[in-house]
Amino acid sequence: MITAERKPLAEIKAMIAPYRKILLAGCGTCVAECASGGEKEVGLLASQLRMDARIEGREIEIKEITLDRQCVYEFIDQLTSLIDQYDVLLSLGCGAGVQAVAEVFPKVVILPALNTTFIGETREGGVWFENCRACGDCKLGLFAAVCPITRCAKGLLNGPCGGSKEGHCEVDPDTPCAWQLIVTRLEEGGRLDFLEEVHPPVDWSKSQGKGPRKIVREDQKN
Amino acid sequence: MDRAMDKETARIAIFFCQRVDSEQDINRRAIEKELGSRIRFFPLPCSGRIDPLQLLRAIEAGADMVYLVTCGEGTCRYGEGNTRAWKRLAYARGLIEEIGLEGERLEVIQSNGRQTIDEVTRSLLAQDIHVGPSPLRAN
Repeated sequence: MITAERKPLAEIKAMIAPYRKILLAGCGTCVAECASGGEKEVGLLASQLRMDARIEGREIEIKEITLDRQCVYEFIDQLTSLIDQYDVLLSLGCGAGVQAVAEVFPKVVILPALNTTFIGETREGGVWFENCRACGDCKLGLFAAVCPITRCAKGLLNGPCGGSKEGHCEVDPDTPCAWQLIVTRLEEGGRLDFLEEVHPPVDWSKSQGKGPRKIVREDQKN
Repeated sequence: MDRAMDKETARIAIFFCQRVDSEQDINRRAIEKELGSRIRFFPLPCSGRIDPLQLLRAIEAGADMVYLVTCGEGTCRYGEGNTRAWKRLAYARGLIEEIGLEGERLEVIQSNGRQTIDEVTRSLLAQDIHVGPSPLRAN
């Protein structure tokens, strides 16, 4: 999923300062999973903003709503009947969601309350771990499902750097060495022969340097 | 500066684990009758069921103090309910501090397992409240 973290409250307050009526929209998918933008987080931020306004003697009106997904038109459409009643939409969606909503309502001021961070997994309750860089050329089958591009700090494709200590990365000692994980898993699976293949550098043109990527599926079109 | 609040007028919300007192439904009625609407009880099947949003909503509704009564360390019937509750209260404290409220308005009370809920309540009400009236009280 996509992970995100809520912006500092001071930053959010500064963004919404000119507005009185705020539509606060969360997303029930990725950002709900990482506890940054789901229904609960909408409630928490709305409560904070209302209390803050009352303490400072300002008027504010906040409508809370959480869409199943903020990046899909059919869900964004739920805002159509509401959006004209508010001065601004403060989105607790990821960057994809904020922009998707803006595409549907281009004349509405839409502000992001989250900083989108990475694609990752819920490693355990309350811990999210980056494990994919969306390089567009997945090689997980060659590396025992441990991505060296994402999880090796140096992005090495042909073995460890040799700097790891007790299985942890020399760049970030809190991070397991990706190559330790790869070799251990290949060894346990009797697949060490995978290490004999020499891999060329990553073809970054598949993910960078050409602007935003697009996928078109004619069979999926309405 | 002494910010101690008048305990006679303090508005208090108490979220509590029902396991603290098996007769809580009966035992809290006496104190509810005595103190009236300025004290509100919110029973929970386990303190681990608490959500920061509930704590914030209580503060937003005008509570001067919000207490979370949990089972003592190592005594939670469900193992980790109380430890999760303590973390969630700590998180909620951070949220109210972000808007300039004192984190001390949210407080954990660990039950010793031998007091009824009204005894716990009288005990916490006997303590000084070191914050002033909530700026969120309705006029």
